[in-house]
Amino acid sequence: MQGALLLLRIALRNLFSSFLNVVIGLIVLAGTLFFVVGGSLVASVDKSMSQSIIGSVAGHAQVYAADSKDSPALFNGWSPPELEAIPDFAKVAGPLRALPNVKAVVPMGVSTAMVAYGNTVDQALEKLRDAETHRHGLRASKEQVESLKQHVRQIVRVIAGDMAKLSAVAAKGAVDPADLKNLERANSDAFWQGFDADPLGHLEFLENRIAALVPDADQIFLSYVGTDLDAFSQAFDRMQVVDGQAVPKGHRGMLLSKYAYENQFKLKTAHRLDQIHEALTLEHKSIAKDPDLQELVKQNRSQTREIILQLDPLSSQKAVAIMRAATGSKEAALEKLLPVFFDTDDANFEARYQAFYSQLAPLLELYRLKPGETLTIKNYTKSGFVQAVNIKVYGTFQFKGLEKSGLAGALSLMDLMSFRELYGAVTQEGIAETKRLEAQAGARFVERAQAESALFGGGGEVEQAKESHIDDKAALGSNPQVQRAADLSAKAYTQAEIDKGMAIEAAIILKDPGRLAQSLKDIQQASDSQRLGLKVVDWQHAAGNIGQFVLVCKLILYFATAVIFIVAVVIINNAVVMATLQRVREIGTLRAIGAQRRFVLAMVLAETMLLGWVFGTLGAALGSGIVAWLGAVGIPARNEFMYFFFSGPSLHPTLSLGSLAGAFGVVLLVTCASALYPAIMATRVSPIQAMASED
Amino acid sequence: MAEIVSIVDVVKNYHLDKVVVPALRGVSLSVAEGDFISIAGPSGSGKTTLLNLIGCVDVASAGTVRINGHDTAHLSDRQLTTLRLHTLGFIFQSFNLVPVLSVFQNVEFPLLLQRQLGSKERKARVDALLEKVGLDKHSLHRPSELSGGQRQRVAIARALVTRPKIVLADEPTANLDSKTGDAIIDLMKEMNLSEKTTFIFSTHDAKVMAHADRVVRLADGLIQSGSPEPAQAR
Repeated sequence: MQGALLLLRIALRNLFSSFLNVVIGLIVLAGTLFFVVGGSLVASVDKSMSQSIIGSVAGHAQVYAADSKDSPALFNGWSPPELEAIPDFAKVAGPLRALPNVKAVVPMGVSTAMVAYGNTVDQALEKLRDAETHRHGLRASKEQVESLKQHVRQIVRVIAGDMAKLSAVAAKGAVDPADLKNLERANSDAFWQGFDADPLGHLEFLENRIAALVPDADQIFLSYVGTDLDAFSQAFDRMQVVDGQAVPKGHRGMLLSKYAYENQFKLKTAHRLDQIHEALTLEHKSIAKDPDLQELVKQNRSQTREIILQLDPLSSQKAVAIMRAATGSKEAALEKLLPVFFDTDDANFEARYQAFYSQLAPLLELYRLKPGETLTIKNYTKSGFVQAVNIKVYGTFQFKGLEKSGLAGALSLMDLMSFRELYGAVTQEGIAETKRLEAQAGARFVERAQAESALFGGGGEVEQAKESHIDDKAALGSNPQVQRAADLSAKAYTQAEIDKGMAIEAAIILKDPGRLAQSLKDIQQASDSQRLGLKVVDWQHAAGNIGQFVLVCKLILYFATAVIFIVAVVIINNAVVMATLQRVREIGTLRAIGAQRRFVLAMVLAETMLLGWVFGTLGAALGSGIVAWLGAVGIPARNEFMYFFFSGPSLHPTLSLGSLAGAFGVVLLVTCASALYPAIMATRVSPIQAMASED
Repeated sequence: MAEIVSIVDVVKNYHLDKVVVPALRGVSLSVAEGDFISIAGPSGSGKTTLLNLIGCVDVASAGTVRINGHDTAHLSDRQLTTLRLHTLGFIFQSFNLVPVLSVFQNVEFPLLLQRQLGSKERKARVDALLEKVGLDKHSLHRPSELSGGQRQRVAIARALVTRPKIVLADEPTANLDSKTGDAIIDLMKEMNLSEKTTFIFSTHDAKVMAHADRVVRLADGLIQSGSPEPAQAR
């Protein structure tokens, strides 16, 4: 004890005795600071990102068919993993739900489909057709019909203008002369004068010959999760419906992710205005300084066609008046006034933004699809043929705290029944429909072995073929497809029906997430013992590449720390060697007056370790201060990815005790390792050295 | 008085590359307890080598060195260190105090290594010694705050604090002016008389030698004059 106190006393006295010690101290301080701050940041990102992943779609773990080639990768949108289906979710759900730490098991499957949505001309023509045919029981006024006609005529004029420009600049033959001829006809007074006499004939001409010339029908890539929507909303409590309503219990339907809805279904000009508005108000950027914002302004100035095509003459007049008032311009032409209105800068942006939403937006369809409308989703089934499903979009949803995250908002939600149909699974309705068609066609089942005799044998008279009679009106009036879609959207499925059938994977929500590792083992064991044919992965693996982000961050942190500390070991080692050489006489004296070698060893080690400990504590304290400060002010998420990693608009890091303990551990290890050689060297100092004269 | 140091036919050679440099070429010396001996001789005569052998910081190439009855040739490094700690005290030409420790702590240091006394006893002993060497008012000072003479007094106190049987002093006055040097030798003599401690010190200063009971003169590694036997034996 007295010896230890003596060592401590000498070590304390030596702490600031040389410049070398200060250098060593500063290296240790920097290393500790880096480790504490870096470690806390990585731990905080790990925590928040795990919340994002677990809370948005993955759950704490995912199970999937054991015979799959890949493992789940929920966020690898463009290179989805090859997963075999779990043939019957109901069979695996029971045993999994029976496990003690399992709170919920949610069936799901992830896919991406291309959704082609009609262009602006199609939409305008559809409105005109509805008005002319009084569809949906609505009787349009003469003025309304006239305005719709004028709108279509304006569209035709715009297309004709575009085509004229294209013919002027494009190579000869690039523009089909037949298209020019059709446009000329549609743009002529004679065409519109004769419209009322044969509206359907004229509409058909416009739909077939003119609408096809407008290439603004976007192909929307829609990634979706097919799931038990009720179970999903209960399991993932951060989910909230934003527009419209939740899909009624047990019904088919879809909830678009709010993020996808804003990015893909909103009028592009409006979406760009939103982006600029957010950058100016939330991120405090400026149009004058930010090239990205300048590009958005430029796009809004030049890409006005989407708006022009939407506005009928009446609306156009109103829009012109609004924009003239807002800009002070005397320009009367809509197509020339729109670029003036959208030529925004830091000074006028807010006023134009408000004018757009309060006055112009009511004249426009801001979204291509509104809650309550039906979306046709086409996808390739597992066996490779194209399957289309009409599905009602009930509204939009988002995950609380992840509103701005493109990753969390990448997936829309679809009911499991529709998902199964798109996947190509045989559904109960499919079996019923096949039977109905067989009955209608008088088809009967023939065994393969008896096929020849059944079809061609028998020796009976050849039956006279009956003339087929197709009642078009009856068929179109009661289109079974339309009927089927209507029936299906109204049908409420029981829980047993939803559970019975395939799922690609299932999210597992745990009661106590702290016992994840044990639960993974339990799930795998349950699957193996009950032959469920499942494999289980934790959320980090299930998230795909994104889930590995934290691991990569950790590796980078550890690598950087290792580099810092390896450099530190070398520098500290050299510094302590030098310090030891300078103290040869002192060490020799101590040996001469009776200090054993082990005392000298302990003395050098204690001095370096105390130095490391003192400066390590300073570094840790400073690092903790920085983490506390960052925790108070928050690190803003600068982009969508950061939004996801931070699980919200900013990261408020908390001090990681693991990092703190780790930092001290590493500091002690480093100082001990770097002082070991000089300490051993010091023990070899002979007491004779004390006798040598100073000269 | 009993013999405390016995050196018989001691040879010490140093090896510089392949050249053997003899430092002592057959020296015999006997020192009795309470002696106050000066080892004199010019530079390179072997004074320091002889002190190193007596101080157990080096071992002889041939011959026997017995300190307090222990043949140093048969002791391990650890045993030699223990022997130094309990039997020997050292006073160095350059004082060799630990710069980061105070006067008190420097003097206390060997007692802490011994681990035999409690803190009160240690304090009492250190304070008494510091008073004896006239530094009781400087106990909290660091060596760098003291004069050369004061530092050497601290070194004397440190050498005596464990009550060793022998104190070795290598040119203890070489770095001091003559007046201070005289005072230091007087102090050593005083301690020799009061504590009955054997003092063996090397010097080439005739004035310092005059204080010794016995002077052993060395030249070229051999005793030239002075009795190799203790004064009492003569």
